[in-house]
Amino acid sequence: MIHLTDVILSITILSVLLTLGSNRLMALVKIIALQGVLVSLTPLFMEHHDKLTGGILFLTPITVAIKGLVIPAFLFFAVKKASIRREIEPIISYHASLFAGLAMILVSAFIVDRLPLNLPGSHALLLITGITTLAAGLLLMMGRRKGITQVIGYLMLENGIYLIGTALAREVHTLHVLEFGILLDLLAGVMIMGIILTNINRAFDDMDTSLLMRLKD
Amino acid sequence: MLEHVFLLPFLIGVIVMFLPAQYGRAGLIIAAALHLGLTLMGWMGKLSPVTTGYFSTAPEGMLVLLVTSFIFMLIAIYTLSYLRETELRNEPVFIGCMLLFLATMSMVALADHIIVLWVAIEATTLVSAPLILLSHSKAALEATWKYVMICSVGIALALLGSFFIVLSMDLGGVRVPLTFTSLNTVAKSLDPVWLKAGFIFVMIGYGTKMGLAPMHTWLPDAHSQAPSPASALLSGVLLNCAFLGVYKVHTLMVNAGLGSYSSNVLMGFGLLSMFIAGVFIRNQHDYKRMLGYSSIENMGIIAFGIGVGGLASYGAMLHLIHHSLIKSSLFLSAGNIMLAYGTKLVNKVGKMPSFLPKTFGVFFAGFVGISGFPPFGMFLSEVLIIIGAFRAGHYWGIGFFIFCLILIFAAASRLVMRMCFGDTEETIQVEENLMRVAPSFLLLLTSIVLCVWMPAALYDTIQNAIAMIGGAFNG
Repeated sequence: MIHLTDVILSITILSVLLTLGSNRLMALVKIIALQGVLVSLTPLFMEHHDKLTGGILFLTPITVAIKGLVIPAFLFFAVKKASIRREIEPIISYHASLFAGLAMILVSAFIVDRLPLNLPGSHALLLITGITTLAAGLLLMMGRRKGITQVIGYLMLENGIYLIGTALAREVHTLHVLEFGILLDLLAGVMIMGIILTNINRAFDDMDTSLLMRLKD
Repeated sequence: MLEHVFLLPFLIGVIVMFLPAQYGRAGLIIAAALHLGLTLMGWMGKLSPVTTGYFSTAPEGMLVLLVTSFIFMLIAIYTLSYLRETELRNEPVFIGCMLLFLATMSMVALADHIIVLWVAIEATTLVSAPLILLSHSKAALEATWKYVMICSVGIALALLGSFFIVLSMDLGGVRVPLTFTSLNTVAKSLDPVWLKAGFIFVMIGYGTKMGLAPMHTWLPDAHSQAPSPASALLSGVLLNCAFLGVYKVHTLMVNAGLGSYSSNVLMGFGLLSMFIAGVFIRNQHDYKRMLGYSSIENMGIIAFGIGVGGLASYGAMLHLIHHSLIKSSLFLSAGNIMLAYGTKLVNKVGKMPSFLPKTFGVFFAGFVGISGFPPFGMFLSEVLIIIGAFRAGHYWGIGFFIFCLILIFAAASRLVMRMCFGDTEETIQVEENLMRVAPSFLLLLTSIVLCVWMPAALYDTIQNAIAMIGGAFNG
């Protein structure tokens, strides 16, 4: 079981690095779908879920469906409608982002090492992955111009928080109603962002958020 | 069942989205009246929550709920008249989202569970975004985008903070439900390091939503671009809900014996917000942006007052009520001004006493109120905060507090004088009418009445709310 967790977490980290280095929007949507599935599967493989309750068996498929299917499908159509294929001139270049991503892994490993917590082995790895995903999500939101990429950054941020929550706050995963509430908020959030972006695309003929410069002091 | 207070507006809100606009308007008034009725019944103790693990009638929540309900009722009346004069892209959706907004805010007010609170606060962002989006302009699009992105990221950090609080419970070896009520009883045994970390993340997260500097950047944009009834809701009611999130965690910190830490953080953010508002309000050309910066200032005042504690926390709670009343009144008047002149620019508005006599009266009185002059309630609350801070010995803080108040008054009065008595070449496009002036007038009147006559129930509720952080009127 533990080995399977390690594999899942390693692929998650790889997907994070891929998002940082990729400029095709369609590829980004596919990667985030994969990452969504992996992240929603992790609680299943953590050792404190030895006894699989009915709730988790019920909720995991829903989480997988929303994070791996519904949200990516929504983004897919948003990209298609906008007929924008790739990110142009990112604020932080791909090489720099990749390098920053690698640095984040090191820094989060360092942080987790220094934390006054007695985590079992796989939990430490989970926490490292979580912090890296969170930080990479923030980087993606700041370092890219297209709105869709920023939404994907937001999704990564949420994935990271979900992983950190899995590692630290086990109780939360036993509260299925609430986890479902969080999931619903995420789904609604991405949909609202998508709708705003479609409107922005119609008004400005682009999804470039650096065009949004009207309101400032 | 007190849960009806959010279930009912939610249901009506969803239904009116699919109905023609005239049914929607009726639905808005009916839902607002029902909500007020249910809230009052909750206050009289006739209704109590059924799902006690998730919702409770905490005094601070009931206070926010009452303010929300009262202001929403008056804004609903205003909205009826407002919608006749403006063309929104999709009126049923606008009304539906207003009701959903009411529902989610009531949910925040009643929430007791730490994650329910988070879910509800995030939901307020999502259902209020369409309100801004519907006033179809490029600037509104930009404002909505910034609002949703900045607040979502902020609130995501608050979720992380909530997880840290759960972890602190784990490490402390206590097993209680994750409600604030039960956490407060075992606060002493929570792990202090992770509780502190949790507080900082929650503070930044909900502070973003509350409009505290330096996370305030979305606020002037969103408040200026939304249609006026929506601005009044955002400024008068939503900010209180976000404050509630911060306040509940602060209470937890005080009970855990870490009160001095969280108080200092609150005071710091409060003073910084006031200062930033004072600096930026000077160069505003847009009167709704000016009001937005004033909201940042007032949230700063509330944060400062709660941070000081004692008598000042009573002042802060009073300030919360009066700020909501006066600020929503001002935004509604600003809506009239905007309908009449067709512009949001200060320099194009003028000669108000002769063009819009009633609106002028209410707007100017509102400005006097928001600046903290008697007979309006903000005079009282600011004086209480200042006295409280003197008693607690924060002399530097109080000096800076007063300096910021003067800075903002000087800057805002210049703009308001220009708007009221300056010259204008515009002609009046939409005449004012009673239905759009009366709500603002009533809001101001309530603020005056509450100064001279405070109902005992309200006084007791404020006392109970601040008793948790060791505050009292006589303290």
